[in-house]
Amino acid sequence: MATTSPSTASLRSPDGEIVIEATNIVKTYDTGRVQVHALRGVSLSVKRGEMVAIMGPSGCGKTTLLNCLSGLDVIDEGRILIEDVDINQLSDNTKTEYRAKRMGFVFQFYNLLPVLSAVENVELPLLVAGEGAKKSRQRALDALGRVHLEEWASHRPGELSGGQRQRVTVARSLVNEPAIVWADEPTGDLDSTNATEIMDLLCDLNEKNNQTFVIVTHDPGISARCHRTVHMRDGLITDEQTSAAAS
Amino acid sequence: MDSFFGVSTTSIMLVLLVLLGLSFATVIYVILRNRIMFFMGLRNMPRRPAQTVLIIIGLMLSTLIISAALTTGDTVDRSFSAATFNLLGHTDEWIQRFGEEEGPPRNIESVIPQELGERLGAALEAADDSDIDGYLPLLFEQVPIVNPESGQSEPSVNFVGVDGALLDAFPDIVSTTSGEILNVNALASDEAFLNESAADTLATEPGDQVQIFVQGQEVSFTIVDVVEDRVITGVGDFNVKEGLVTRLDTLQRVFDRPGEVNIIAISNAGGVRDGIGLTDSVVTSLDRLFAAEGLSDDLAIYDVKRDLVESSEEAGNFMATFFVIFGLFSIASGMLLIVMIFVMLAAERKSELGMARAVGTKRGQLIQMFMSEGMAYNVVSAMVGSALGVLVAVGIALVMGRIFSDFFDIQPHVTMRSMVISYSLGVVLTFLTVTFASWRASNLNIVRAIRDIPEPTGGRMGRRWLATGLIGIALGVLFIYYGLNSNLAFPFAFGASLATAGMAIALRFLGLKERPVFTSAGLFLLLFWGFTAGNRLEFLFGKLDGDFEMFFLSGIVMVAASTFVFVHNADIVLAGLSRLGDSFSPILPIMRTAVAYPMANKFRTGMTLAMISLVIFALTMMSAMNLNFNLLFLTDNARGGWDVIVDENPNNPIGDLTSALEAGGDMEFGDYPVFGVDAGFVDGGDIPLGNRARGFETDEAVWEALKTRDDVAVVDHFALEAGGFFGGDGLTISGIDENETEFDPVRLILQDPISGTQTAVDIIGVIELGASASFFGIYIPATAFRDGFGEPLLTRHFVRLNDPDESKAVAQEIEASLLTLGAQGESLKQRVDDDQALFRNFFLLMQGFMGLGLFVGIAAVGVIAFRSVVERRQQIGMLRAIGYKRSTVALSFMLESSFITLLGIVSGVGLALWLSFFLITSDEFPTSDAGYAIPWFRILVISGFAFGASLLMTFVPARQAASVPIAEALRYE
Repeated sequence: MATTSPSTASLRSPDGEIVIEATNIVKTYDTGRVQVHALRGVSLSVKRGEMVAIMGPSGCGKTTLLNCLSGLDVIDEGRILIEDVDINQLSDNTKTEYRAKRMGFVFQFYNLLPVLSAVENVELPLLVAGEGAKKSRQRALDALGRVHLEEWASHRPGELSGGQRQRVTVARSLVNEPAIVWADEPTGDLDSTNATEIMDLLCDLNEKNNQTFVIVTHDPGISARCHRTVHMRDGLITDEQTSAAAS
Repeated sequence: MDSFFGVSTTSIMLVLLVLLGLSFATVIYVILRNRIMFFMGLRNMPRRPAQTVLIIIGLMLSTLIISAALTTGDTVDRSFSAATFNLLGHTDEWIQRFGEEEGPPRNIESVIPQELGERLGAALEAADDSDIDGYLPLLFEQVPIVNPESGQSEPSVNFVGVDGALLDAFPDIVSTTSGEILNVNALASDEAFLNESAADTLATEPGDQVQIFVQGQEVSFTIVDVVEDRVITGVGDFNVKEGLVTRLDTLQRVFDRPGEVNIIAISNAGGVRDGIGLTDSVVTSLDRLFAAEGLSDDLAIYDVKRDLVESSEEAGNFMATFFVIFGLFSIASGMLLIVMIFVMLAAERKSELGMARAVGTKRGQLIQMFMSEGMAYNVVSAMVGSALGVLVAVGIALVMGRIFSDFFDIQPHVTMRSMVISYSLGVVLTFLTVTFASWRASNLNIVRAIRDIPEPTGGRMGRRWLATGLIGIALGVLFIYYGLNSNLAFPFAFGASLATAGMAIALRFLGLKERPVFTSAGLFLLLFWGFTAGNRLEFLFGKLDGDFEMFFLSGIVMVAASTFVFVHNADIVLAGLSRLGDSFSPILPIMRTAVAYPMANKFRTGMTLAMISLVIFALTMMSAMNLNFNLLFLTDNARGGWDVIVDENPNNPIGDLTSALEAGGDMEFGDYPVFGVDAGFVDGGDIPLGNRARGFETDEAVWEALKTRDDVAVVDHFALEAGGFFGGDGLTISGIDENETEFDPVRLILQDPISGTQTAVDIIGVIELGASASFFGIYIPATAFRDGFGEPLLTRHFVRLNDPDESKAVAQEIEASLLTLGAQGESLKQRVDDDQALFRNFFLLMQGFMGLGLFVGIAAVGVIAFRSVVERRQQIGMLRAIGYKRSTVALSFMLESSFITLLGIVSGVGLALWLSFFLITSDEFPTSDAGYAIPWFRILVISGFAFGASLLMTFVPARQAASVPIAEALRYE
């Protein structure tokens, strides 16, 4: 697993507005033979501009929580309000549109479309959200600029290093200026140098744009750079810590 | 069906059974030596049921096509021979006048006088040959007939007279009502039996009176019973079955031919079918008898039944070969599909194969594993394919039955031999293809396989590729050399294509990039095939002979070339899409991925594109050729300015048609004899010529010469080709190049078969191909005709109408007016239309058969779509996460399949139009002067079907993709 070294970059203090409010979330997977209780009643609030790390051992329910909070997965019980909208009450299409406009995603394995160039990958959420082609291209190039990849815009993912690919993913997650960015093990597939670079980037964006970040990670180095770390075990939140970096 | 491509079907079956045995033996070897590999192969089958079904469908298509083709051959063979047995009944051979042509009863000109007939009869009685059941003298006369009660008439039916005393060996006069065998001896001198076809046409029942006309005189006969259609009940040939039969003495009296007969039928010992086995022995003993009696110079024997049965078998063999050749494109597509499926299966299992190799599995064992799986699919699919092929053949038989209903009763028939061949060939072909695909799949890098890293592309090729390239060039040059030396187009074109491919591979070794090398090679081949079509480059390479096999070779090479060009350059489309304006932005990402994904996987896209393109090419090519030939034969030129033909009945000469018609109708007309051309025919007609002798500047000048000279002739176009006149044989005029508009006059000697008088004429014109079907024959001046042949036996009159659209009605009116004379009127337009309809329907049947191959391409689209859903599960999850709706994901998959299908359609249609244009407009082709027409409607139908079917096939996987749970997909590895 990659680790990050402590950084001197400081985080902007979150304002008081709650953007994510989850109450008593229950999620059970039925595999036919056994039932897996992934979330057993999780409650969590996240403020605008806050950077929250979710940590815990494998199988504790971190990714499931992130998926449920972002509307990628449905919950069995409980309630999730994103910017005061009950996300589980939305139809699939409305939820999808909401994600396209207000959320960004960073995944461990980048999940870029291998057949498109970097800039085409980055502009995808904008085009899907109905933005014009020219404007989308310009904004995608700007986003790539922010992650220092303007010169690699026409390259396909296969022609980029792991760190570069993850920076493209970050650019894609930010191009539509989302309120919330969900990141699932964003440095999990990177070496320490690249992992640090990515984390610097996320912190920097959080600092400049006041965007909310929810990051699932195994890496204590990453959690140390977040405002708050939520610890999970067996489908429950067991502990919460506020980071020194955020204070 | 007893032979296929000229090889005995029994031999083919035995060889295939040996190969089938070897295929199964290989699998048994795997089971005995590496049972674990065998079971690992088998256990892969139920992993993805939908994919397994598609694989079985893909594998069975080749077998289905082979089985359908062979069963169609069996059906035609059986139906034609059944028609022959039915037509001839117990007649196995017949004796006719020496020197007369052999042919159906309707065309018999043989006349055996009483004295000769009696001598032969006495000799046959004395010989008492145990192989011969009996003999029967027959007299045929063609007469007009009318049933005054029903008001129905027929201008020419075959009236047969048979000797009732000799009918015991010929129990062929069978009542259709009671099934009883009847004898003409029971008939009075004004009674006859009417055959079934005539009874239908004339709406006549037993007890009705019919009238026939002899030399314009009316003679009445009472129909005692309706009997089955047989030669001895008046069937003239397969086209004209109407007839009636009476006592021999009655017919001889009515036609004033005392003691005369036309032929003497012989019935061999045994029944209708098994008597044929004695033909050789009967012919030998009759020849001996003729010699002993001194009749060899007067009489000859014609083994009619064996001749017709052999023709039926040949027709069956031809049909099977024809269908297989047309099915070759589909079979080739099917084999591509098999390779693609196994390469994709290998890609899907790449990690596990890498692991297997890492823990010690040898490459050969991986081949065994894949082969086991392939053979398991194969055994099932070949069985299903053979059975479905029979069903398809039944469908073909039903359609053929409708098309040829006027001539034959087509009944589906299948033989065990054809089934064994189909099954064995299907299994062996698939076994070979699967083994090749397994070898390719086993050829993997262990580390890359375990980590599922894509194989490197675009780099410099290894030395093995250089060797392959050089071998390709060397073989190609050898083939070119052989082709040029033997003037054969196939080896020449194959060699040129092979050398080009070898060159491209060798250039890749030298470090040149893939795109320019393969694009240039592909474009060169496309240009090469276009410009060499129809011997356009004769001035460079000389005249090269090619036949139907060139169609297949051109299709394979051009499709391969075009596929290389497409897959290496379709990203231009992608670049174009990126420049689309804001108005397309909502679907831009979908369109982009729809193009980008196929382009990123050149192998599978290329294979699918080639499969679709091959079949579309074949279908479009056929449509283009068909349309252009149709246009040629359907133009007004084909009728040479005439609208109606009126043939006299030899028993009732019309004499002066002008006077005869003046009483019956108010129309413009001409009066011209066949072969002997008079001034009226020359002035009134407008028959176009394709070639003229030097010195004749215009067609009119040639026709004028027939008016003013008596030593010139004009012939139809078919006389220039092997096989001679349309429907005839025995004449091929050499010395005239059909591609040259001018030629030096060719001397032709005509001999009257009766008098032996010879007439020398110079050919000065050849009728254009389009009009040759209507005006086949040699046209000489009327004076030359009379000098050489005396007064004509039959006169044909051509009528030109003010309104050619009325030709059918006028032909019927003429027939009605001249009914008592038995004149047969026929609308030339109707005749051309009928011929075209027959040809068109058969062509549509062929297209339907070839269209089966489209299912291969469509199945490939489905296989890829299903596979893509599995491969891109994680990407689908990501797309859904960033804002793709379910419908957007589904649309993206549909568009992707559409893109591949469209490329295939564009490639197939484009290539077919490209090649057909060069072929049809080349001097080599008779249609070259008629311009070039594109069958837009047919292309639209074919393309629409292919496109619609592929969309339908993608619908299920697209829905699957759309309903992928996002969170689950994102976790998927």
